[in-house]
Amino acid sequence: MSGLEGITSQEYKYGFVTEIDAESVAPGLDEGVIRLISAKKGEPEWLLEFRLKAYRHWLTLSEPAWANVHYERPDFQKIVYYSAPKPRKPQYGSMDEVDPELVRTFEKLGVPLHEREALAGVAVDVVFDSVSVTTTYKEKLGAVGIVFCSFSEAVREHPDLVKKYLGTVVPFSDNFYAALNSAVFTDGSFVFIPKGVQCPMDLSTYFRINNKESGQFERTLIVAEEGASVSYLEGCTAPQFDTNQLHAAVVELVALDDASIKYSTVQNWYAGDKDGKGGIFNFVTKRGLCRGRRSKISWTQVETGSAITWKYPSCVLAGEESVGEFYSVALTNHRQQADTGTKMVHLGRNTRSTIISKGISAGRSSNSYRGLVKVHPKAAGARNFSQCDSMLIGQACSAHTFPYIEVQNRSARVEHEATTSKIGEEQLLYFQQRGIPAEDAISMIINGFCKEVFRELPMEFAVEATKLLSLKLEGSVG
Amino acid sequence: MAQATAEGGLKPAMLGSPRPGGWDLFRSSAEQRLEGVELPGQGEEAWKYLDLRPLWELPFRPAPPSRVEACPTILPEAKASRLVFLNGRCDPHHCSVAGLPDGVAFRTLVPGEAALGTVLGEEPAFFPDLNAARFMEGAILRVPAGCRVVTPLHLLFWNQGGEGCPVVLPRLFVHLGAGAEATLVEEHAGEGAYLSAPVVEVLLEEGAVLDHERIQREGPEAFHFATLGAQVAGRAAYRSRTVSFGAWISRQEPRIRFTGEEAELTLDGLALLGGRQVADTHSRIDHAHPRCVSGQLHKCVAGDRSRAVFNGRILVHPGAQQTDARQQSRNLLLSEEARVDTKPQLEIFADDVKCAHGAAIGQLDPEELFYLQSRGFSPELARNVLTYGFASDLLGRIAVPSLRRRLRHAVLDRTEGGAQLEGL
Repeated sequence: MSGLEGITSQEYKYGFVTEIDAESVAPGLDEGVIRLISAKKGEPEWLLEFRLKAYRHWLTLSEPAWANVHYERPDFQKIVYYSAPKPRKPQYGSMDEVDPELVRTFEKLGVPLHEREALAGVAVDVVFDSVSVTTTYKEKLGAVGIVFCSFSEAVREHPDLVKKYLGTVVPFSDNFYAALNSAVFTDGSFVFIPKGVQCPMDLSTYFRINNKESGQFERTLIVAEEGASVSYLEGCTAPQFDTNQLHAAVVELVALDDASIKYSTVQNWYAGDKDGKGGIFNFVTKRGLCRGRRSKISWTQVETGSAITWKYPSCVLAGEESVGEFYSVALTNHRQQADTGTKMVHLGRNTRSTIISKGISAGRSSNSYRGLVKVHPKAAGARNFSQCDSMLIGQACSAHTFPYIEVQNRSARVEHEATTSKIGEEQLLYFQQRGIPAEDAISMIINGFCKEVFRELPMEFAVEATKLLSLKLEGSVG
Repeated sequence: MAQATAEGGLKPAMLGSPRPGGWDLFRSSAEQRLEGVELPGQGEEAWKYLDLRPLWELPFRPAPPSRVEACPTILPEAKASRLVFLNGRCDPHHCSVAGLPDGVAFRTLVPGEAALGTVLGEEPAFFPDLNAARFMEGAILRVPAGCRVVTPLHLLFWNQGGEGCPVVLPRLFVHLGAGAEATLVEEHAGEGAYLSAPVVEVLLEEGAVLDHERIQREGPEAFHFATLGAQVAGRAAYRSRTVSFGAWISRQEPRIRFTGEEAELTLDGLALLGGRQVADTHSRIDHAHPRCVSGQLHKCVAGDRSRAVFNGRILVHPGAQQTDARQQSRNLLLSEEARVDTKPQLEIFADDVKCAHGAAIGQLDPEELFYLQSRGFSPELARNVLTYGFASDLLGRIAVPSLRRRLRHAVLDRTEGGAQLEGL
């Protein structure tokens, strides 16, 4: 394997800090902080109640320790629970009024905020730290009745919708991090696709963690009414910091009869340096509820960043003939640890689910797939197919599979397959014989390994994901 | 007795004093590990799917001596290589070991003999610890280096339920020297309500080969919690097949560890369940050395309101390169109320390995049923043929012909109208 050694390590490309006056509260958490967050955001009473109930429940919980990850537990009293970019004016009339520093940041990230958006056909709801700064394409989407805005705005403008669906998929009592998020979430995205509307473009948001020591507690809620459909893109990068940053987001998806939601993520947060110093803790609760008949929820994720990942995008298949899908590529390198997978809970008759998970483990990292396929007694005719493949690169990494399968209906058909492999020296030799350098060969082999997942990604993400994987593996293969 | 019942649970103190002596340290350290420990609960990940509440308030007591007129099962191949234990005590009337080569020991353990616990290790675990603290008479099979035992060895543990809930703690130590070969049939059977918690330790030295057929057909009201520890040295081969028909609640916990390179393991299991039976298999295979091969095929047929649980854990340790580990969990659900929980689990710390696992749960294939019916099979017969076919390929691997036949009949008896299949 000597041909693979000595490829220089790739620096974290997006490791810069934007200096913006952030309006932050002191670190720590108590009911006062929650009341302050709620007051600062001018929230209605019911939402404050929701937060407080969640907070009181959170106090009774302890951090989950069952995941196959090891890290120093964050001190929740050292986290800043609210920071917002200080607006120069209360409202922005146009892009020109937005903090120029912020605009430059987005340019560096490649977020298309100007005319090129139209060409790209992407509406971007930018979340910078905790408050949405600008929302584009609102009018165009509004014309067909679609609501795509920041969570705060949704609370102000569409309180009934938010109240109706908030916490219906991930209740505040769901788990430790979901409870924490429910108590302190500052902002996020809200999408509502009314009955019969096919969203005319992919909806996209960029999350970016900034402001040292600030945890991000995003809250996303997507509702697709009867016959509606939407494709939502989420991409993440974060600046390079030495202290660990906690990210505990909650994403809730609701699909009514015949609705379909496709949720795609490319995650490339700072993973810490080669020795595992720093990096983001990514403890996320993502769940979709197929409430209606023939509804469909599809998760696609490419996870390459974060020091610790604890994430299980799941589908609750309640509606008859509803469909859940999970396509995942999880890459870990250096000292990264990922415990990720999905849950498919079959409640309705003739529900179907597919799980394709590809784990790539390099360096001294640990990569675990953890999944649950549960078929309830009433889910006659339920069908699941799962495939979990792992690839190991180097002798010091590890790959694990923990699939839980619970079947309580005999007409269910559940299949699970898992394999583990490595990049064969023969494969590499074959490429090199034909004049293809080792790193290109590895990139091609990895792409082949992941292609079932990549082809589920929207075009622009697929391109980014391919590049990302080869970047992340540089310097580690050997 | 009344006192123990009020406490709820199963304590060594309920089972008399630790006799025979000779393993004092072994017994006392196990007893220490059990101090303040209750029966495993579903809060523990390893017991998540097995509800032991039916055991909570049972009046456990040591199993009294028992007698049977005729030996309950006989293998014609093992007429002169048979040990029979009744309620945990060796019954010389039914034993015969005349047909064994010189140097082969197949008998009860002499107090203090064998390094008990060294194969299994001293990790706290409720049932093996209980066994260590209070087992009565153990058995040993020792085959010297280079010795090939052609005759199959039959070890029968026959248990008789009775007043209260008698507790039987069978213990077996198997040691094959370098290059030795043997076939062992370990059978657990009985009548009535009782609890049996056998512990088997298998030590295979370089190049030894052991075929280990394990039959569990305890009484339908019995509890069976078996632990198997095996260490397989370089180039040795351990082939174990466990067939479970019996008991109300049962659990098999094999833990196999390779201690040398290029060793080979087969760890197959078949559970045929009906009524309200619950059968749990929790296996662990440690690939701690390079170039070892393991294959595990576990099949469950769950009918009525039964429940099958499988958790197969394979660990490939750092440096165990060119490991080849394959695991399959196949499950057939025959009724609306039956339930299967399966969790194949791979943990890999080496990069140059071939590991695969699979799990499948389903009912009989409607197309296959239709095919058979189109050729004149009644729906019932078609179902039985397919169920029998699902279960019997595993039985085909059993090394003792008469046992193979007997188990095939037992499978037929379990399928309704199976008699019609006899001639097929």
